[in-house]
Amino acid sequence: MKRSLNYFAWREVTRSSAFGKSMATTIMLGFLALYFIVNFLALGFMLPKLITEKFPNAYPVSVFNSYLLVYFGFDLLMRQLLQSLPTISFKPFIILNIKRSRISRYLLIRSVFHFFNFLPYFLLIPLTFTLVAPHYSTLATVAWFAGILLMIFTNHFLTTYLKWWINESGYGFYVFVGLFLALYGINFFKTVDLTGLFGQFFDTILHQPALAFVLIIPVVTFYLLNDRYLRSNLYLNLVDKKQKDSTVRDFSWMNRFGDYGKFISLDVRMIWRNKRPRTQFMMTILFLFYGLLIYKDQGHGIPDFMFIIGGLMMVSFFSISIGQFFPAWHSQYFAMLMTQNFKMKQFLQAFYYMNVAASFVYFLLSLPYTLIDTRVIYYHSAMLIYHIGVNMNLIFFFGKNSKRALDLSGSSMFNYQGMRATQWLMVFPLVFGPLIIYALLKLALGASGALLVLGGLGAVGILLQPHLFNYFTKAYLQQKHRLIRDYKNS
Amino acid sequence: MIMINVHSLIKAYNKEIVLNIPELTIQRGEVFGLVGNNGAGKTTFFNLILDLILPSKGHIINNEVKVQESEDWKAFTGAFIDESFTIGYLTADEYFGFIAELREMNQADLEKHLGRYTDFFNGEIRGKKKFIRDMSKGNQKKVGIAAAMMGNPEVVVLDEPFANLDPGSQFKLRQLIKDQVAEKGTTFLISSHTLDNITDVCSRIVILEKGKIVKDVAKTASTLKEIEAFFTGVVVEESNFNLD
Repeated sequence: MKRSLNYFAWREVTRSSAFGKSMATTIMLGFLALYFIVNFLALGFMLPKLITEKFPNAYPVSVFNSYLLVYFGFDLLMRQLLQSLPTISFKPFIILNIKRSRISRYLLIRSVFHFFNFLPYFLLIPLTFTLVAPHYSTLATVAWFAGILLMIFTNHFLTTYLKWWINESGYGFYVFVGLFLALYGINFFKTVDLTGLFGQFFDTILHQPALAFVLIIPVVTFYLLNDRYLRSNLYLNLVDKKQKDSTVRDFSWMNRFGDYGKFISLDVRMIWRNKRPRTQFMMTILFLFYGLLIYKDQGHGIPDFMFIIGGLMMVSFFSISIGQFFPAWHSQYFAMLMTQNFKMKQFLQAFYYMNVAASFVYFLLSLPYTLIDTRVIYYHSAMLIYHIGVNMNLIFFFGKNSKRALDLSGSSMFNYQGMRATQWLMVFPLVFGPLIIYALLKLALGASGALLVLGGLGAVGILLQPHLFNYFTKAYLQQKHRLIRDYKNS
Repeated sequence: MIMINVHSLIKAYNKEIVLNIPELTIQRGEVFGLVGNNGAGKTTFFNLILDLILPSKGHIINNEVKVQESEDWKAFTGAFIDESFTIGYLTADEYFGFIAELREMNQADLEKHLGRYTDFFNGEIRGKKKFIRDMSKGNQKKVGIAAAMMGNPEVVVLDEPFANLDPGSQFKLRQLIKDQVAEKGTTFLISSHTLDNITDVCSRIVILEKGKIVKDVAKTASTLKEIEAFFTGVVVEESNFNLD
């Protein structure tokens, strides 16, 4: 009996620990997926109208086409950061009587089932019906749609191929970023109008549908390149690449920060050297650009709520993202820490100071938005103080109920290992807390009054911090045995 | 002089008793060997000494400190239970540095301490830019054991220190333990499920079976035979039978 390898893939998905996740996670995931889908659908229906408003003299389809390269460019960049290599669980197969070509085909085809390859349809399908179908023949519409589809898969396999290469050479990523920026620059300064040319190509497809076949070439090329790479590299060390000397960064200078230094440098190394916290950290850097999206004047000034959301997303997102799993980041060696001669208080304080420093850096990095609106500085300052005084303590408060150990080496995107209802629940007070407080206070005191109280609450928290540390130290020590047991059993 | 004192200690999971030690004292400078089959309760006992789990009844006193009540025992106790006692994403040197700081050793102390392990490390541990998680199981163990003995602890708890080590390293480790006892009078608690290493280093051997102490003897030539008989009894009989 020859069983399809896909059978194992399906079993692996349905039996993975992430699949049997808690009810709360399932519900939240459902909401999140729905949110993205609704957004993309809405964009799909609104875009034609927006385009005709902004570019009244151009063909809407051409305008859309001229932005395609920009979209694919950023898609490629996002994929570089978030898409993982298709190496999962091939180990059991390589010693069995299965041809390498079959394993490689299985891995590559399986990798196609990725979030990034599904999301665009919610935008594309309504667009195809509103923007393209009414003006062009069915054949042209199909060719146009197929062309974009092929580009999505090109990006998919290109990403994979680039990642093999980046994985092998330490400088690969920088070459990629350099090349990306160079192309961006060439395009930006109109040395060569790449986006225009790419857009024109898609315009031409609408008139010469047969041209869409050209786009099959890159997909097949990159697929075959991946296939060739996999066939000749399908050995055990394909995945577990050992750390190279040059990439071991030394953080020992941090030890000088007094008593907390040793734990701060441990925290920093933990974040930098493990895949999951590191990707989470990278995401928080990406979120610094969130302001470009939401700080937009729609004609009657930026609504002040946006600044609260922006402050949260840019200033405190690092602590929220890393803090929601505190102290489970240290779960793998938690028992060892508990036999060492140090005070729990130091451990908590070190995490606190690292977050204070990080939030301050993010605050500084978010200040250029003041150029868009001067109110940014007031709102972000208030959010910084509120975050340090209130949210940090909430993180400690929820952290003492931590239950699941974290697998540091897991990939971080859409990884719900170690996720429990607590993690979802704690996001509510952290994110909606300041929003609700601000909204209520604004009704009573007006915007600046509300802002002052928000900052004031933070200041109170900061002043009470020594007492709060004593309280949390006691609370964490009380939870010690339960934490050790739960981490071991999960 | 008494180092560790166990009082009517019981650990039960869902009413199933996994460890029951009514009374046990370990003298200062004793090398206490705990032998038993899988699931006999060795690791449970060590976890209780280190306050990593709570006893169902009773308590342990480590050098006049009641482990379940005060944290002061941490200052003079070193331990290695399993690989989770190392930090995977640090290099060995960084890990030693981290533990040295927790144990309040300076760089010179650290170098002096690790100098004694040069042979044991066999040139595979120090000065390498390799994370502990990428090391072999045996080398991870060596890192953990060397770290457990840092900062002149008065008590060292080692769970299965000889497992996963090659014969040469096992021999070197035995020597290291003996030296430490002779020089500093450190009390050792060592567990194993094989006899050869433990009978060599230990001054007292306790056999644990299904959570109970079934034999507690000082090591002499005559008791050694007795212990061996206890463990290998079945095997010896069988092999004799075959020979006959």
